[in-house]
Amino acid sequence: MSKTDLLLESNGLYTSYGRIPMLMDVSFRLREGEICAILGANGAGKTTLVKAILGMVKADKGTMTFEGEDITTMPTHKRVAKGIQVVSAETGTFPKMTVEKNLRLGAYNITDQKLLEERCEEAYESFPVLKERLHQKAGTLSGGERTMLAIARACINKPDLLIMDEPSLGLAPIVVDEVFRIVRKLNRENDMSIMLVEQNVVKSLGVSDYGYIIQKGQIIFEGNPDQINESGILDNPVMS
Amino acid sequence: MTIMNRKDGKVNTMKNKKIYDSPFAVILCNLILFLLVYFVVMSDYAVSLAIIAVVIVAVLLVNRFDLINKIFDLYIRHKKTALISGLILGIIYPFSLADNVYVAHIATLAVIYGIACLGLNFQMGSTDMTNFAPAAFMGIGAYSVAIASVKMGLSPWIGMLAGLVLSGVFGFLIGLPTLKTKGYYLSLVTMAIQLAFTELVRIWPFVGGDDGLSGVERYKLFGFELYKRYTIFGIRMSPQIPYLLLCIVFLVLCTYIAMRVYFSRTGIAMNTVAQDEIAANCMGINVSRTKLFAFVIGGIYCGLAGTLFAGLEGYAGPATYNFQKSLMLICMVILGGMDNSIGVVVGAFILAIITEKLRDFADFQQLIYGAVLVIMLIVRPDGIIPWRVRNHDLITKRTPNIAEKAQLKSEV
Repeated sequence: MSKTDLLLESNGLYTSYGRIPMLMDVSFRLREGEICAILGANGAGKTTLVKAILGMVKADKGTMTFEGEDITTMPTHKRVAKGIQVVSAETGTFPKMTVEKNLRLGAYNITDQKLLEERCEEAYESFPVLKERLHQKAGTLSGGERTMLAIARACINKPDLLIMDEPSLGLAPIVVDEVFRIVRKLNRENDMSIMLVEQNVVKSLGVSDYGYIIQKGQIIFEGNPDQINESGILDNPVMS
Repeated sequence: MTIMNRKDGKVNTMKNKKIYDSPFAVILCNLILFLLVYFVVMSDYAVSLAIIAVVIVAVLLVNRFDLINKIFDLYIRHKKTALISGLILGIIYPFSLADNVYVAHIATLAVIYGIACLGLNFQMGSTDMTNFAPAAFMGIGAYSVAIASVKMGLSPWIGMLAGLVLSGVFGFLIGLPTLKTKGYYLSLVTMAIQLAFTELVRIWPFVGGDDGLSGVERYKLFGFELYKRYTIFGIRMSPQIPYLLLCIVFLVLCTYIAMRVYFSRTGIAMNTVAQDEIAANCMGINVSRTKLFAFVIGGIYCGLAGTLFAGLEGYAGPATYNFQKSLMLICMVILGGMDNSIGVVVGAFILAIITEKLRDFADFQQLIYGAVLVIMLIVRPDGIIPWRVRNHDLITKRTPNIAEKAQLKSEV
């Protein structure tokens, strides 16, 4: 891992679905070791931004830099190999495989068997819920357990950047608290940089170091949580 | 009688744990399968259909105890014994058919369809891309052999090599548009390719047009003709016997490779692409490469089946490799069980035998054929021997430790 201060940087990013522009002139910086929140209402372009970072949506204009390397035209699997992992509602678990197989699939790029075993043991320790269900099909897990599995699967790679796309979607409040606790723990104890893409504004600002607010495909405000709270931008009924 | 055998075996294995987990059980299983195939192929249509029906029902009933999965684990654990005993029985099998020309023909067809289905399974089963053009791939293999031997006077083996290469290239070319299309659209693309292929060979005079190319030279191995009547121990054998032997060797080889692929990283990648393409991509799997691999290896398998088919019939024509043949291969894969190498071969055997046995009732053939499929899809939509849940232990061959074993038992 190179020790540049800036982990992910995007400059004037434009994307579109066919003719409909989705992101317009999006520039943001993600520093190493911080939790960065991307907040916005439904349809603001949050998920599109995640897809653009992963390379599933092509950038029409603008550049994207990860660890000092230009990744604007890099295919998705290479970006993942470079150390970006995503946890999201869309990229779910593989329902027809056992939990253990799912976990190990997360480490598809790790070919060293010994290292893999170590990482798996670590994952079982951090997520004891999963250890009880190793030989169960992932499709039979509850929503919360599935989110845990997705997080564990992403963390098994020790990614440099972990993107969480609405991890709290459709979960019970108590599980949501648990998810945010894990997010904070991963950041504090494992020094993982996390990009938190969320609708739950209050909780997200509670754990993050910096935040961007995105509306209609544009970043309309950025700052640390206090600044965002003071700015009153969240009082806008569309945002809450 | 064969059913009784099966039950005996089961009771035996249940009583004694050690026998259950020994090479002996594998050989017993192989022997039972051998006898089943023998009786199904040899008896006349009524008996053979009855045996097939009874066996399917018995397997479905017995499978409540998860027997099929247990047998599979057994085979994987005693891979060598299974392979060697299977090969020996496979070599004995053709000779047991003796001078029954028709039966030998059916048996060879079934084996060739088995190879084609293994190829189709890479696409349909493992990667979940329904390819409606397996017959076109077979056709490419068959026409390569035919052109090499009829038009150029080359050895059919060179034709086979060319067929394998060509069908692989063709698979790659078909695979390219599939990177852009998914689901129904992909099926439509392959369907169009199948229809285009049949039309193309029909109107192209060089390959014989409607009449096809006949007089394809038979395969020879070191001067030993593989399609000829031989007399062994005073029994006159039907001409297909040595050829059947060759096909069985190819089938065993293909099944082995297919299993290796299934348990490899690529095999896992294919399964993840089938279940969730985006998630697979996020795991760092190269989705395009995986899809292309499925098309190329599947194409090569089907091409091999085609080259063998041309050698069996001595003829390659547009009617043999039409859309209907493609549908039949797809039905075989669905019936046998998608994403399970053994399953698709079983499906190919069953449908090939049913189709041929019902030749006498040409009017009802399609009807019964359809009825079998409808019933199977209602009773057991995953096929007779369905896909297995991907479990980790079997892949790395790591033996589970005692705690895990206890846990496994308690779950069962």
